[in-house]
Amino acid sequence: MALIGTFSLIAIGYSLWISLHRYDVLAVHNQFVGLANYRDALGDEVFLKSLVNTSYYVVMAVPSIMCGALILALLADKAGRGGPVVKVVYFIPSITPTVVVSLLWLWLLRDDGAVNQVLGFVGIRGPNWLQDPHSAMPAIVIVATWQAVGYYMIIFMAGLADIPKMYYDAAKIDGAGALGRFWHVTIPLLRNTFVFVTAMLIIGSYQVFTQVYIMTNGGPQNATEVVQAQVFRNAFQYVGKMGYAAAMAWILFGIIAFFIAIQMKFMRSRKLYD
Amino acid sequence: MTELRNSECGLRNALSRNPKRAGVTASRQSPIPIPQSAFRNPRWLLVCIIILGAVTMIAPYVWLVVNSMKTVEDFTSHPYSMWPRPINFGAYVRAFALGRIGIYLRNSLFYAMVITGLQLFLDSMAAYAFARMKFRGRDAVFGALLATMMLPRAVTLIPVYLIIVKLGLADTRLGVMLPGFAGAFGIFMLRQFFLNIPADLEDAARIDGCSTFGIYARIILPLAKPALTTLGLFLFIGAWSDFVWPLVVLTDWDLYPITVGIASFRNEAWIYWNSVFAGSVIASLPLICLTLVAQRYIIGGISLSGMKG
Repeated sequence: MALIGTFSLIAIGYSLWISLHRYDVLAVHNQFVGLANYRDALGDEVFLKSLVNTSYYVVMAVPSIMCGALILALLADKAGRGGPVVKVVYFIPSITPTVVVSLLWLWLLRDDGAVNQVLGFVGIRGPNWLQDPHSAMPAIVIVATWQAVGYYMIIFMAGLADIPKMYYDAAKIDGAGALGRFWHVTIPLLRNTFVFVTAMLIIGSYQVFTQVYIMTNGGPQNATEVVQAQVFRNAFQYVGKMGYAAAMAWILFGIIAFFIAIQMKFMRSRKLYD
Repeated sequence: MTELRNSECGLRNALSRNPKRAGVTASRQSPIPIPQSAFRNPRWLLVCIIILGAVTMIAPYVWLVVNSMKTVEDFTSHPYSMWPRPINFGAYVRAFALGRIGIYLRNSLFYAMVITGLQLFLDSMAAYAFARMKFRGRDAVFGALLATMMLPRAVTLIPVYLIIVKLGLADTRLGVMLPGFAGAFGIFMLRQFFLNIPADLEDAARIDGCSTFGIYARIILPLAKPALTTLGLFLFIGAWSDFVWPLVVLTDWDLYPITVGIASFRNEAWIYWNSVFAGSVIASLPLICLTLVAQRYIIGGISLSGMKG
């Protein structure tokens, strides 16, 4: 009893310890500066650019991962005997370390890289993905989608498996075509999955870091500088800017919390329908 | 007046509903033949798309493995040929000799195993306490624990780093692993599982004179084996793939895990890119094998986490 008590207390205490210390970050800065760090951050051009870039990334990555995952889930659902194999194959990128994925795609996305060769095969002249400020962020979105899509596919498949077959039969009797069934049965009944996946993706995507750090390191011309990279640089590469970095991190948290709060509200009001 | 408005509404509803019904029956009576047949027998199309998707997923790995087996000259002159001429394992030899992949591999294995083992132990104890024991403020503490799951990594990174520095653990093995010893997600997941274990079992054991720790060790843990296996796999994969935390806390390359190791190897030996690829193959192989062996637990676990939402 005492043993469990102690151990669980260590675990709980440890989490609490961290959560309490989060508030002390600004005090570590020895001199109390109040909200000056926040004010500076919001006036910092690079930081604002990183906020815009991160939002741009989120706006592209969340829908593309979600749509990709849903399409794959619908396909894999129909794959019959090949299902388990398809699942594992699509899933492998998401258990590959992000570092490996980034190093690999760094080469595939070069100007003369495999991606552009495949595009050239179809007759499209691909951009110099990672060196061009216009295509650098989309390139990172492509890599992130490639990596994450299998994971969310499995979540969607679980959601699909939860939909009772009789709804489809009923819709079929009412004369709904495949598209109609998808739109009026599958989509509404996957609502909980959608809510969960969107929340996970928004939280995760706002924290994009490793791909950027390895593939472009914020370049070209800060076109892929993201918030998490700014936090990392200010906290661990520049000297004496840890409080400033912490302020940036809290601003990031504020943005994420804002989206999650909106989503919670949306979810609750939607629940009244059924 | 109100009655009138109501009936008006009713009429409007009926009107607005009618055309819809009419539309549905109409489309049923006169189906557009081409899309219908395409939907009825989409087998070949389906197979094509699935295979295309699978190729997109697998081709980059093939490219990675092929290039890790090329000689440096072959790689620099034809980096995109899909056949190494000659097949050569020099890149792997160099990855171990110059890239110190062996040391990194050992570190990664050590970190991932210790983190997984200890976190399973501590999480399961904490989860048991949250699920079964009554103490003041339990729900509040649990709520706080759940709230920490929503915090972005950026927010926790700095305070955790400062704590580790203050403890004098920066640039040590313990410093890399300590933050991974307990996790909110694991406690949450195991608590949900423990709550589903019938309390009668524990009551029976208690009557037979079993201590609380005995119940935890002899009844709860064996029953929770599937949940523990799934969580353990997640933790292992997570710990193995972690990049940011070891990057922040370590400066001594002797302690680098393989993720940080290959990233830094790239910076110092960019000529030997094929050795970086060899390192990448070595870094991802254990996880891919683990997934192939234990896919039932991993995929099942992810499905479960999705259902909770």
